[in-house]
This record gives sequence, structure tokens and C-alpha cells, in this order.
Amino acid sequence: MIRAVMMMKAAMMIRAIMQIALLLASLGGWLAAAQAEPELAPETSDVATLPPNVPHRIFTGGFRSQSFVIFDADTGKMEGSIPAGYVSNLAIAPDSSRFYVSETYWTHGARGNRQDLVSIYDAKTLNLLKEIGLPGRALVEKMQNFDINASGSRAYVYIMMPVASVVWVDLKSQAVGGTVEIPGCALVFPWGNEGFSSLCGDGSLASVTIPASGPAKVTHTKPFFDANSDPIFENSFVDRATGKALFLSYSGLVYPAQLGADSTVSEPWSIQKAAGYAPAGTGVQELAWRPGGDQLAALHKASGKLFVLMHPGNYWTHKHGGTEIWVLDTKTHTLVSRFPLRAVPSSGLGNDPVPYYASIAVSQDAKPLLYLLNTEGNDVVLDAATGRELRKIEFAAGDWISVPGN
Amino acid sequence: MSKSRIDKFGERLTRRIAGYSSRRSFLARLGMALSATPVLPLLPVARAAAADAPKTDFERYAQTTDATQCNYWKYCASDGVLCSCCGGGSHSCPPGAEPSPISWIGTCVHPDSGHSYVIAYRDCCGKPVCSAGKSCWCDGGDRELPTYRSPLNNDIIWCFGNASASYHCSTAALLGSADASRK
Repeated sequence: MIRAVMMMKAAMMIRAIMQIALLLASLGGWLAAAQAEPELAPETSDVATLPPNVPHRIFTGGFRSQSFVIFDADTGKMEGSIPAGYVSNLAIAPDSSRFYVSETYWTHGARGNRQDLVSIYDAKTLNLLKEIGLPGRALVEKMQNFDINASGSRAYVYIMMPVASVVWVDLKSQAVGGTVEIPGCALVFPWGNEGFSSLCGDGSLASVTIPASGPAKVTHTKPFFDANSDPIFENSFVDRATGKALFLSYSGLVYPAQLGADSTVSEPWSIQKAAGYAPAGTGVQELAWRPGGDQLAALHKASGKLFVLMHPGNYWTHKHGGTEIWVLDTKTHTLVSRFPLRAVPSSGLGNDPVPYYASIAVSQDAKPLLYLLNTEGNDVVLDAATGRELRKIEFAAGDWISVPGN
Repeated sequence: MSKSRIDKFGERLTRRIAGYSSRRSFLARLGMALSATPVLPLLPVARAAAADAPKTDFERYAQTTDATQCNYWKYCASDGVLCSCCGGGSHSCPPGAEPSPISWIGTCVHPDSGHSYVIAYRDCCGKPVCSAGKSCWCDGGDRELPTYRSPLNNDIIWCFGNASASYHCSTAALLGSADASRK
């Protein structure tokens, strides 16, 4: 009996010695490995900054977005985001040093005191530099409800109540400069440093000059389009530096204009005629290639190329997105090319008969890229010269795409 | 006596406008706003052709039975999320939301009778946007005009004069016959 107990104790001791030996062996291995690898340096928590001069940077945002999301379109990577309030809009300083956001907040989410603002952000740190309170702003889902002048010294904010007006903001003194009423007109197309034009319900353009001192002056062109039968899309274009503008109508007419204190409008040309078709009419059962979408066209200023989302449809399909991109030379009024678009997953919007892209933008450099946006978060980057798809950028859902230099 | 909500809103609005406006220009603007506001929902705007005219794409596929679908006949120019998917109805705000006193208007054709009606597209306001499913987000375009023809535009948040201009969802209230103005 005693012998048996002694044997058991000896076995337990041997097992314990073996376990210690194993532990020491594994510890030795670990120590050896630790000696082979250099020790990791402690990390410091810091904050990234936005790199300057990224050639193909895009900003997506819109009605349902809480921020403008910044992507590098060459890599598809998110670079950061700019916070944004209700029905917000973005303007980028000409030297890309500042971002300006027009936005609306309530103090308790969707209720409480309303605050309308132009907020200024540093373009490197994305830090908020200033909030400028506004007397109001129109909650209109159009990119043309806010813009800055050519030099970036002024911002213009469209407001609707109590009457259609534009509030101008002095971005140097960072204060509201004044309000100009534009009854019957809407939105802002800035030209030069002292003025802007607005589209009017009587088919004219109102042009507002706001001198450095003294009262504002408002002139009107003669009515040049029929706002009932063939209105002009809000998504039209002005080169702020030169005042050269293009206004695109529902049916596909392009009206060149020279904006200024006394704006002038030239005879329109048809984008369908440029493509070898008959100009499209306004019949509700008149099938034709038609422009449509949300941000439905984009202009490359240096080349004068206009990129338009086109779809086959009847009149009043002006909100349907594109199944093709038409590239038009606005100098010669000719079609350069047509890019068929690959089908995308349905947006799910009940009235939309076909999957589509509703927004398009183009970079303003010498080798431009095209950006397409749909509501599913399947953004696509195309080569603007060939229409070839370069890459997709996921999770960039929004309504609009902004690009620098536009 | 405590002030009503409308009184409080009016006072806030008045004080706010007074802060940046002279009295004369304020009166002029108020006059314009007051004279314009009640007119907007009543305008019998219908630029559609006669009853036997060709139908729009929406009119060809419209139905009269399911108000939670975008092709329900009254939604020919509705833009936004349907209140009928959010606890309300085709002309009712969901509980806790507030109808906008003014709206934009459209003209839709009833597919069974062929009669056309003036529709007030009245937003329900004061709550965060309704988070109904994607099939309840509609974007009709029949006879819809740009922002500079504001009473006929559906990209404006039509929450004016509400306690909060925060958009919740869209309704479509039948105002009356538009047949007379179509002839």
C-alpha cells in the first residue's frame, strides 16, 4: 500500500517536471522570436489631413446625406467628409483652400429653432472656421441654390420667403452683405465678381449687379423660352470667370448666353439634330431621345464638351435618368460620341421604368474623368474620352457630385 | 392667456424679419406673400390637352386601388416618400406630422373615368423624413416645371409656415375637377 502511494507520488512529480520543462521550452522559443523581431514603437493618436492637389477629387452629397463625402476617383478611396445639414449645398473656393456649405439645422433635430447657415471649412484640416447666420434659405433640392463668385469673395444664397430673393454673403468680412429681391425668378448663375443671373417664370433671365457700394441693379432679357411648354433645366451652366453660359431645355435645345449686367441669349440648337435625328418635340406620346435625370448634364469648360444623360422617352420624362451619355461639341454643335451605359441595379423608385444613372459630373483637367451617380451607391468612373469604365466606387450614394474648378 | 402656436410662430417670424428689414419693405413683402399664398393651391392649372388627348406614360399605367404604390393615379407628379406608407394616407399625414398650409399642384387623369383633377401635393412636416422602403419613394414628372415656376415644382420642400420645415412625407389631395380648364 505504502509502496503504491510512493509510486503515485513519483509519477506526479515526473509529470510536473515535464510540464515545467515544456513551459520553459515554449518560453524560450517565444523569447527567441521576440529577440528576432524588433520591438513595435508605441503609437500616437493623431488626425489626418486632406492631401492637396489630388487631380480627380469628387464630393458627393444631397438631400438624404448628412455630409459631403470626398473621394479620390483615381483610387476609389474615401479621403474624408464635410458635415452638412438639411438640403445642404457645397461650393469650393477657386484656390481650393476653403469649402463653403450652405445648410439648415433645427436645434432639436427636426424641431426647435431653425438656423440657416453658410459654414466655412479649411480644405486641409476640414476644421470648421466660421458659421455665418443667414436670414433664410430656400429648401430647394437643386445645386443652383447656392454658389460663389469668380474670385471666391462672395457667396449667393437663394431664398423663397417672404419673396424670391438672393442673400449675398461677403466671404472676406464673413458677414451677410444684403438681400436682392428677384420676384418670379429663382436660383443663381454667378458671373464675374459683382453679379449673378437667375431663371424666371416668364421665360426671361434676370441679371443682378451688386456693386461694392451703392444699390443693386436688376435687368431682364426678353423672354426667350416658354416656361410652360419647354422649360429650361435648372442644371444649366455658367463659366463664372467669363460669364459664358449654356441653358438646356426639357426637349433638348441648348441656348448659348453671355451673362453680365445686361445678359444676351443666342439662338438655340438641338442636341438631337446634332446627333442626326429630328429635333425632339413636346408630345406626351412622342418617343425621342431626351435629356433627363437629376444632375443630368456636365460641361468640360476648357474643351466646350457637354456630356448629357439621354434616354428614349416621351415628354414629361425629364426626371428619368440616362441609358446613354451623349458627348456634344458646344462650339460646332455636333455630336462627338455616344457612350452606352451598362445597366445598374434598379434604384427601386417606383416610377422609374428602367435602371438608370441620374447624375453626372466631369473633372475639369486636360484628361477628364466622368463620374456617374445612382441612388444605390454604385458610382462609376469613366474615361471621358472613350467612355471606358475605369472603376466603381461603392457607398458613395447621393444625389449630386461636385468637382473642383467647376 | 397663453399664445397659440400660430401666434408664437407669427411672433418669431415677425421678429426675425424685423431684424433685417425696414418696416416699409417688410409691409410690401408681407403684402405680396399674403396675396400670393392663398392663391397658390387654388390655381386651376391644367395645361394638359383635351380628354381624348394622348396619355402620358404615367397615365397609361396608372391604377386606382393601391395608394401605397407610385403608380396610384393621384401621384402623377408626386416627388418624395408616400405618406400612405408611413402611417398616413394619400391625403392624410401620419400621426404627429403637420400638413403644410400651402402646396404645389398638379393635374392627374383618373384612369377609369378619363376625368382630370387638380391635385394638391401637400407635404407633411415637422418630423424627420419617413424611413419607408424604397418602393414608396416616387418621382413623378407629369407637367412638373422647374423651380422658377415654384407652384408647379416638386423639388422644393413644401413646408412653409409650419412649426418646423423638416419634410416627413408627401400627400396628394384632390382639390376638384380640371376638366373645364382642359377644354
